[in-house]
Amino acid sequence: MQNIDKDAQVGLELTGKLKTITDERVFAFSGGFPKGPDWPKKTIHTNLEFARASGLPKRTASGAMFEGYITELMINTFGEQWLRGGKMTLKFIAIVTPGDKLLPKAIIRSRQAENSGVRFALDVWCEKQGGEKVVIGTATGLVPNL
Amino acid sequence: MEEKKRADQIGVGDEFKPLTFRVTSEFNEQYLESVEDYHPRYREVTEFGPPVVHPALLVVWSNVTRSPSFYLPYGLAAVHAWEEIEYINPGRVGKTFTVTWKVVDVYEKKGRRYQVKEALVVDEDGLQIIKRKFGDTYFSGGE
Repeated sequence: MQNIDKDAQVGLELTGKLKTITDERVFAFSGGFPKGPDWPKKTIHTNLEFARASGLPKRTASGAMFEGYITELMINTFGEQWLRGGKMTLKFIAIVTPGDKLLPKAIIRSRQAENSGVRFALDVWCEKQGGEKVVIGTATGLVPNL
Repeated sequence: MEEKKRADQIGVGDEFKPLTFRVTSEFNEQYLESVEDYHPRYREVTEFGPPVVHPALLVVWSNVTRSPSFYLPYGLAAVHAWEEIEYINPGRVGKTFTVTWKVVDVYEKKGRRYQVKEALVVDEDGLQIIKRKFGDTYFSGGE
Protein backbone atom coordinates (compact mmCIF):
# COMPACT_ATOMS: atom_id res chain seq x y z
CA MET A 1 0.00 0.00 0.00
CA GLN A 2 1.20 3.48 -0.86
CA ASN A 3 0.35 6.34 1.45
CA ILE A 4 1.20 9.23 -0.84
CA ASP A 5 0.45 9.95 -4.47
CA LYS A 6 2.26 12.00 -7.10
CA ASP A 7 0.42 15.14 -6.02
CA ALA A 8 1.80 15.07 -2.47
CA GLN A 9 3.23 18.49 -1.64
CA VAL A 10 6.36 19.81 0.02
CA GLY A 11 5.76 20.19 3.74
CA LEU A 12 3.54 17.14 4.10
CA GLU A 13 4.39 15.40 7.38
CA LEU A 14 4.26 11.65 7.78
CA THR A 15 4.21 9.76 11.07
CA GLY A 16 4.91 6.06 11.56
CA LYS A 17 3.88 3.70 14.31
CA LEU A 18 4.86 4.25 17.94
CA LYS A 19 7.46 1.67 18.95
CA THR A 20 8.35 0.52 22.45
CA ILE A 21 11.88 -0.65 23.19
CA THR A 22 11.81 -3.60 25.58
CA ASP A 23 14.50 -5.97 26.82
CA GLU A 24 12.85 -8.83 24.95
CA ARG A 25 12.87 -6.91 21.66
CA VAL A 26 16.48 -5.77 22.09
CA PHE A 27 17.55 -9.35 22.84
CA ALA A 28 15.62 -10.63 19.81
CA PHE A 29 17.21 -8.00 17.60
CA SER A 30 20.80 -8.16 18.83
CA GLY A 31 21.07 -11.52 20.56
CA GLY A 32 21.65 -13.56 17.41
CA PHE A 33 19.91 -16.50 15.77
CA PRO A 34 19.21 -19.30 16.49
CA LYS A 35 18.59 -19.16 20.24
CA GLY A 36 21.16 -21.58 21.66
CA PRO A 37 22.31 -22.07 25.27
CA ASP A 38 24.48 -18.93 25.16
CA TRP A 39 21.68 -16.75 23.78
CA PRO A 40 21.54 -13.79 23.82
CA LYS A 41 25.06 -13.20 22.60
CA LYS A 42 26.83 -10.73 24.92
CA THR A 43 27.06 -7.31 23.31
CA ILE A 44 26.68 -3.69 24.36
CA HIS A 45 23.00 -4.15 23.48
CA THR A 46 22.30 -7.25 25.54
CA ASN A 47 24.65 -7.19 28.53
CA LEU A 48 25.05 -4.36 31.05
CA GLU A 49 28.51 -5.46 32.22
CA PHE A 50 29.71 -5.63 28.63
CA ALA A 51 28.28 -2.16 27.90
CA ARG A 52 29.86 -0.61 31.02
CA ALA A 53 33.23 -2.20 30.28
CA SER A 54 33.10 -0.44 26.92
CA GLY A 55 32.42 2.94 28.52
CA LEU A 56 28.70 3.08 27.91
CA PRO A 57 26.42 3.99 30.83
CA LYS A 58 23.64 1.55 29.91
CA ARG A 59 22.71 -1.19 27.53
CA THR A 60 21.70 0.48 24.30
CA ALA A 61 19.39 -0.56 21.48
CA SER A 62 21.09 -1.12 18.13
CA GLY A 63 20.83 1.82 15.74
CA ALA A 64 19.75 -0.70 13.10
CA MET A 65 16.63 -1.29 15.18
CA PHE A 66 15.34 2.27 14.95
CA GLU A 67 16.70 2.60 11.43
CA GLY A 68 14.20 -0.20 10.77
CA TYR A 69 11.36 1.97 12.10
CA ILE A 70 12.14 4.63 9.49
CA THR A 71 12.44 1.96 6.80
CA GLU A 72 8.96 0.74 7.75
CA LEU A 73 7.65 4.30 7.42
CA MET A 74 9.25 4.62 3.96
CA ILE A 75 7.78 1.30 2.78
CA ASN A 76 4.36 2.27 4.10
CA THR A 77 4.71 5.63 2.32
CA PHE A 78 6.02 4.52 -1.06
CA GLY A 79 4.93 0.89 -1.11
CA GLU A 80 7.02 -2.26 -1.27
CA GLN A 81 8.67 -0.86 -4.41
CA TRP A 82 10.74 1.32 -2.06
CA LEU A 83 12.85 -1.82 -1.58
CA ARG A 84 13.83 -1.38 -5.25
CA GLY A 85 15.67 1.92 -5.32
CA GLY A 86 14.86 3.56 -2.00
CA LYS A 87 17.78 5.36 -0.36
CA MET A 88 18.48 6.82 3.08
CA THR A 89 21.31 8.68 4.77
CA LEU A 90 21.21 8.63 8.56
CA LYS A 91 23.16 9.98 11.49
CA PHE A 92 22.76 8.40 14.94
CA ILE A 93 22.84 11.19 17.51
CA ALA A 94 21.56 9.79 20.81
CA ILE A 95 21.40 6.48 22.59
CA VAL A 96 18.20 4.51 23.01
CA THR A 97 17.63 2.18 25.94
CA PRO A 98 14.93 -0.30 27.01
CA GLY A 99 11.90 1.59 28.22
CA ASP A 100 12.12 4.26 25.54
CA LYS A 101 9.27 4.83 23.13
CA LEU A 102 10.18 5.95 19.61
CA LEU A 103 8.13 7.58 16.88
CA PRO A 104 9.46 7.62 13.29
CA LYS A 105 8.61 10.75 11.30
CA ALA A 106 9.26 12.32 7.90
CA ILE A 107 8.51 15.52 6.05
CA ILE A 108 8.60 16.07 2.29
CA ARG A 109 11.32 18.59 1.40
CA SER A 110 11.23 18.45 -2.41
CA ARG A 111 9.52 16.75 -5.34
CA GLN A 112 10.91 16.27 -8.82
CA ALA A 113 9.05 14.98 -11.85
CA GLU A 114 10.92 12.27 -13.77
CA ASN A 115 10.04 10.17 -16.79
CA SER A 116 9.05 7.28 -14.55
CA GLY A 117 7.11 9.26 -11.93
CA VAL A 118 7.72 11.80 -9.17
CA ARG A 119 10.75 11.47 -6.93
CA PHE A 120 10.40 12.82 -3.40
CA ALA A 121 13.16 13.85 -1.01
CA LEU A 122 12.31 13.78 2.69
CA ASP A 123 13.85 14.62 6.02
CA VAL A 124 13.45 11.60 8.29
CA TRP A 125 14.00 11.05 11.98
CA CYS A 126 12.96 9.11 15.07
CA GLU A 127 12.12 10.91 18.28
CA LYS A 128 11.85 9.68 21.85
CA GLN A 129 9.11 10.39 24.28
CA GLY A 130 9.69 14.08 25.08
CA GLY A 131 10.68 14.87 21.52
CA GLU A 132 14.46 14.22 21.60
CA LYS A 133 15.66 13.09 18.20
CA VAL A 134 17.85 9.97 18.23
CA VAL A 135 18.48 9.53 14.51
CA ILE A 136 18.19 12.13 11.76
CA GLY A 137 18.67 12.02 8.03
CA THR A 138 17.22 12.12 4.55
CA ALA A 139 15.48 9.64 2.27
CA THR A 140 14.33 9.51 -1.32
CA GLY A 141 11.52 7.54 -2.90
CA LEU A 142 9.66 7.36 -6.20
CA VAL A 143 5.94 7.40 -6.80
CA PRO A 144 5.79 5.81 -10.25
CA ASN A 145 3.49 6.59 -13.12
CA LEU A 146 0.60 4.13 -13.28
CA MET B 1 45.00 -21.03 14.89
CA GLU B 2 44.73 -17.90 12.81
CA GLU B 3 45.14 -14.75 14.89
CA LYS B 4 42.35 -12.25 14.36
CA LYS B 5 43.29 -8.63 13.80
CA ARG B 6 41.50 -6.06 15.96
CA ALA B 7 38.63 -4.57 13.97
CA ASP B 8 39.51 -1.00 14.90
CA GLN B 9 43.02 -1.48 13.47
CA ILE B 10 41.92 -2.70 10.06
CA GLY B 11 42.90 -0.16 7.44
CA VAL B 12 41.71 1.21 4.13
CA GLY B 13 41.45 -1.42 1.40
CA ASP B 14 41.22 -4.35 3.79
CA GLU B 15 38.19 -6.62 3.87
CA PHE B 16 36.43 -8.45 6.66
CA LYS B 17 35.66 -12.12 6.11
CA PRO B 18 32.27 -12.57 4.38
CA LEU B 19 29.24 -13.93 6.22
CA THR B 20 26.76 -16.36 4.67
CA PHE B 21 23.42 -17.11 6.30
CA ARG B 22 20.03 -18.50 5.32
CA VAL B 23 16.86 -16.72 6.41
CA THR B 24 14.10 -19.10 7.45
CA SER B 25 10.56 -18.10 8.42
CA GLU B 26 11.51 -18.55 12.09
CA PHE B 27 14.56 -16.33 11.66
CA ASN B 28 12.47 -13.64 9.95
CA GLU B 29 9.73 -13.92 12.59
CA GLN B 30 12.24 -13.14 15.38
CA TYR B 31 12.90 -9.80 13.69
CA LEU B 32 9.23 -9.03 13.01
CA GLU B 33 8.67 -9.40 16.75
CA SER B 34 11.69 -7.29 17.62
CA VAL B 35 10.63 -4.30 15.48
CA GLU B 36 6.85 -4.80 15.89
CA ASP B 37 6.23 -4.94 12.14
CA TYR B 38 3.75 -7.66 11.25
CA HIS B 39 2.88 -6.70 7.68
CA PRO B 40 1.66 -9.72 5.66
CA ARG B 41 4.42 -9.16 3.08
CA TYR B 42 6.86 -10.61 5.61
CA ARG B 43 4.78 -13.72 6.30
CA GLU B 44 2.85 -14.63 3.17
CA VAL B 45 3.75 -16.04 -0.22
CA THR B 46 2.54 -13.73 -2.99
CA GLU B 47 2.51 -13.75 -6.78
CA PHE B 48 5.97 -12.18 -6.55
CA GLY B 49 7.46 -15.02 -4.52
CA PRO B 50 8.15 -16.09 -0.95
CA PRO B 51 7.70 -13.65 1.96
CA VAL B 52 10.03 -10.64 2.07
CA VAL B 53 12.87 -10.70 4.58
CA HIS B 54 12.40 -7.80 6.97
CA PRO B 55 14.88 -5.07 5.93
CA ALA B 56 15.99 -4.55 9.54
CA LEU B 57 17.18 -8.16 9.68
CA LEU B 58 19.37 -7.65 6.64
CA VAL B 59 20.71 -4.37 8.04
CA VAL B 60 21.70 -5.74 11.44
CA TRP B 61 23.14 -8.90 9.91
CA SER B 62 25.23 -6.78 7.57
CA ASN B 63 26.73 -4.81 10.44
CA VAL B 64 30.44 -5.57 10.45
CA THR B 65 30.23 -7.06 13.94
CA ARG B 66 28.63 -10.10 12.23
CA SER B 67 31.73 -10.85 10.18
CA PRO B 68 33.44 -14.11 11.21
CA SER B 69 36.73 -12.19 11.30
CA PHE B 70 35.42 -9.31 13.45
CA TYR B 71 37.29 -9.15 16.72
CA LEU B 72 37.57 -6.61 19.52
CA PRO B 73 39.00 -7.25 22.98
CA TYR B 74 36.68 -7.07 25.98
CA GLY B 75 36.18 -3.43 26.95
CA LEU B 76 36.16 -2.08 23.40
CA ALA B 77 32.97 -1.78 21.35
CA ALA B 78 32.01 -0.60 17.88
CA VAL B 79 29.30 2.07 17.79
CA HIS B 80 27.42 2.94 14.62
CA ALA B 81 27.67 6.68 13.86
CA TRP B 82 26.21 7.17 10.40
CA GLU B 83 24.87 5.27 7.45
CA GLU B 84 24.08 5.54 3.75
CA ILE B 85 21.89 2.73 2.47
CA GLU B 86 20.42 1.81 -0.89
CA TYR B 87 17.76 -0.85 -1.24
CA ILE B 88 18.14 -2.62 -4.57
CA ASN B 89 15.85 -5.67 -4.36
CA PRO B 90 13.74 -7.29 -1.64
CA GLY B 91 15.35 -10.31 0.02
CA ARG B 92 13.17 -13.43 0.09
CA VAL B 93 12.65 -15.90 2.93
CA GLY B 94 14.34 -19.22 2.19
CA LYS B 95 17.27 -17.64 0.37
CA THR B 96 20.88 -17.71 1.50
CA PHE B 97 22.59 -14.34 1.69
CA THR B 98 26.24 -13.35 1.60
CA VAL B 99 27.58 -10.12 3.07
CA THR B 100 30.95 -8.64 2.12
CA TRP B 101 32.67 -5.70 3.83
CA LYS B 102 35.55 -3.48 2.82
CA VAL B 103 37.15 -0.61 4.74
CA VAL B 104 37.13 2.43 2.43
CA ASP B 105 38.17 5.29 4.71
CA VAL B 106 39.52 6.10 8.15
CA TYR B 107 39.34 9.60 9.60
CA GLU B 108 39.38 11.54 12.84
CA LYS B 109 36.77 14.02 13.97
CA LYS B 110 36.72 15.79 17.32
CA GLY B 111 39.44 13.49 18.60
CA ARG B 112 37.57 10.33 17.75
CA ARG B 113 38.59 7.83 15.07
CA TYR B 114 36.03 6.70 12.52
CA GLN B 115 36.28 3.72 10.21
CA VAL B 116 34.15 3.72 7.06
CA LYS B 117 33.01 0.44 5.53
CA GLU B 118 31.12 -0.51 2.39
CA ALA B 119 28.90 -3.55 2.67
CA LEU B 120 27.05 -5.46 -0.03
CA VAL B 121 24.34 -8.07 0.55
CA VAL B 122 23.62 -10.50 -2.31
CA ASP B 123 21.43 -13.58 -2.39
CA GLU B 124 22.32 -17.08 -3.58
CA ASP B 125 21.34 -16.15 -7.15
CA GLY B 126 23.73 -13.21 -7.19
CA LEU B 127 20.89 -10.71 -6.89
CA GLN B 128 22.03 -7.55 -5.12
CA ILE B 129 19.77 -6.77 -2.15
CA ILE B 130 21.27 -3.79 -0.30
CA LYS B 131 24.37 -1.63 -0.49
CA ARG B 132 25.58 0.23 2.57
CA LYS B 133 28.29 2.67 3.46
CA PHE B 134 28.62 3.38 7.15
CA GLY B 135 30.88 4.92 9.74
CA ASP B 136 31.67 3.23 13.04
CA THR B 137 33.60 4.59 15.94
CA TYR B 138 35.04 2.64 18.85
CA PHE B 139 34.31 3.13 22.55
CA SER B 140 36.46 1.79 25.36
CA GLY B 141 35.98 1.70 29.11
CA GLY B 142 39.30 3.49 29.48
CA GLU B 143 38.02 6.72 27.95
